[in-house]
Amino acid sequence: MQLAGEIARPAAQDWPRLVARARVRRRAVTIFLYAVLILGSLPIVVPYLWLFTVALSGRTGAGTTVLWLTLAILMPALVAALVLRIAFEDERRRRRFELALAAVTLIALAFVTGPYLHTDNFRFLWITDIANQLKGESGTGSRYPSVWTAFGNSLFIALTQMVLVVSVSTMAGYYLSRFDFAGRAGYLKGLLVLHAFPAMTLIIPIFLLTYWVGLLDTLTGVILVVVALELPFAIFVMKGFFDAVPWDIEMSGMVDGASRRQAFFMLILPQVKVGMLAIGVFAFLRGWEEYVFVRTLLFKNTNWTMSLYLFWMNEDVMGTDYAMVSAIGVFYVLPSVVLYTICQKYLTQMSIGGIKG
Amino acid sequence: MARLIKRQTVDRILFLGPATILLALFFLVPVVVDIGLAFTDMGRNLKVTGFTTENVQRMLGGDRRLTHVMLVTLTYVLCTLAIFNVGYGLLLALLTTALPDRAGAFFRAVWFLPRMSPSVVYALLWSWVIAPTDYGLLNQALAAFSLPLLDLKSNAPMLVVILANGFIGASFGMIIFTSAIRAIPQHLFHAARVDGAGGLSLIRHITLPAIRWQVSFVTIYQALSLLVSFEYIWLITNGGPFYDTTVYALYVYRRAFENGQYAYGAALALGLVVVGISVAMILWRFFDMRALLQKPRIEVG
Repeated sequence: MQLAGEIARPAAQDWPRLVARARVRRRAVTIFLYAVLILGSLPIVVPYLWLFTVALSGRTGAGTTVLWLTLAILMPALVAALVLRIAFEDERRRRRFELALAAVTLIALAFVTGPYLHTDNFRFLWITDIANQLKGESGTGSRYPSVWTAFGNSLFIALTQMVLVVSVSTMAGYYLSRFDFAGRAGYLKGLLVLHAFPAMTLIIPIFLLTYWVGLLDTLTGVILVVVALELPFAIFVMKGFFDAVPWDIEMSGMVDGASRRQAFFMLILPQVKVGMLAIGVFAFLRGWEEYVFVRTLLFKNTNWTMSLYLFWMNEDVMGTDYAMVSAIGVFYVLPSVVLYTICQKYLTQMSIGGIKG
Repeated sequence: MARLIKRQTVDRILFLGPATILLALFFLVPVVVDIGLAFTDMGRNLKVTGFTTENVQRMLGGDRRLTHVMLVTLTYVLCTLAIFNVGYGLLLALLTTALPDRAGAFFRAVWFLPRMSPSVVYALLWSWVIAPTDYGLLNQALAAFSLPLLDLKSNAPMLVVILANGFIGASFGMIIFTSAIRAIPQHLFHAARVDGAGGLSLIRHITLPAIRWQVSFVTIYQALSLLVSFEYIWLITNGGPFYDTTVYALYVYRRAFENGQYAYGAALALGLVVVGISVAMILWRFFDMRALLQKPRIEVG
């Protein structure tokens, strides 16, 4: 007893010191992690921030005044938020300070950058002939279509493609999940190879095929190509979702007198809505962002998509208004980012093998 | 019975038909066309006038530029893969999973931004950032510290290409490694802590061995996508200056669509097709084949 007491007593005196040391250590590690991540993310954040500030404030050139002003406010705010996070371990008290900090930052941003902001760069939305005016070609036949033509083409490709991918892959996924047939294993294995197989390597024969059947320089051609390339991935995702639906559901429906097709449409489809939504969003984004096939298979300026419109607006050096080009960039990138952010929950439910490279 | 069989056939055509036709038209037929095309003399006029083995001979020995292109491709794929797609992706996954969930998700979203934005926008940002004049963002930042201006696009094009592709590639590894790290049972970390392990030895002895499988998956999968994709290089440097950043896949494209040598392009593409199919076969090992091929359990017509 005597011995144990002698050992225990000095240790007990050490406890507060140990706790304090552990806390300092933990905070140091946290600060280090945040610092590395913030510095490491700057090369990504700053160019995007630049795009936005130029779109909203630039006058013909891509100036950086507003970018530096914004950064001068955001960086201290970020450091302050970090300090708050370290200083208060109590979540609720911290929340109050964080809200105050966010409010102060926003007000400061509004005051400092406010005078620079204008929407003039977005005039391409209502002056649809702006590109030809700027490039001084308005007299000699217009080379640039209206931005709304390009927007409509992109939207048409994305939507049609989405509908086709969802319906075709849902049906195929269901059949592969539920029916046994001669050659099913071979079909699935072949699909798996196609899933990993890089379709980009086939661009020359695909170009020739569309030329031979007369689909070159038509939106239909691009849509069919992109749909086919999306299919192996989409079918696998859908098959996975169907596999997860217990077969008792169909069984009980069919015992109650539903036909196989009725069971599919009325009982099983509602169970895989999330999967259909996920591949739908994915297909839409893929169509909206497509560049390589669009550039290779479309020529006429009335067939231009947003990607081609933006590319040629930036490429032609003559009379390029970089502030307006960044406004077009913002106009093009916003739907993608918004859709990704909203649907993130659904997109992450797809299996690992399905994430695009 | 006959009606049942007929119904089954109709169902199969209805459900599987559209997918099969599309896949055959845009995967199988192009592969066959490509093989055939490699042995023709198709040029800019898109007409075949005769069959020849010239393209294959040229590919195997006659094209001096091809050696250079291969070297460029090797440098590009190895550097991007090792530094960014695997290395930086792993670092991001480790750092963001060490933070509280919300903060970690925020940084992952930031790194996902390049993948979220259309390729043209991303490439446009890069070319503006590295613009050689004093308008370029990089040069403005350098000028603020009174450092000399840089012209990265002409002087270090390979660096630009690797960085631009790496910033996008890192997010793929990051996502996969993050979900793998999350799946490691927490009690392993607790037990190791009790045994006196520090942060780094936790990573070395628990995290890394646990995600070994995912690391090899990402390595193989991303090696293939780097090898065949040329979109960002095409947009940012267009393979230049001269042929300095023309990787194999871009070389195929330039031969066919810039120089009009469709037949030679098709022969070159055959190399990629072979590599693509082989890597796809290797990737089979990463899928759960038994679950995939499991027989369906109900069979009512």
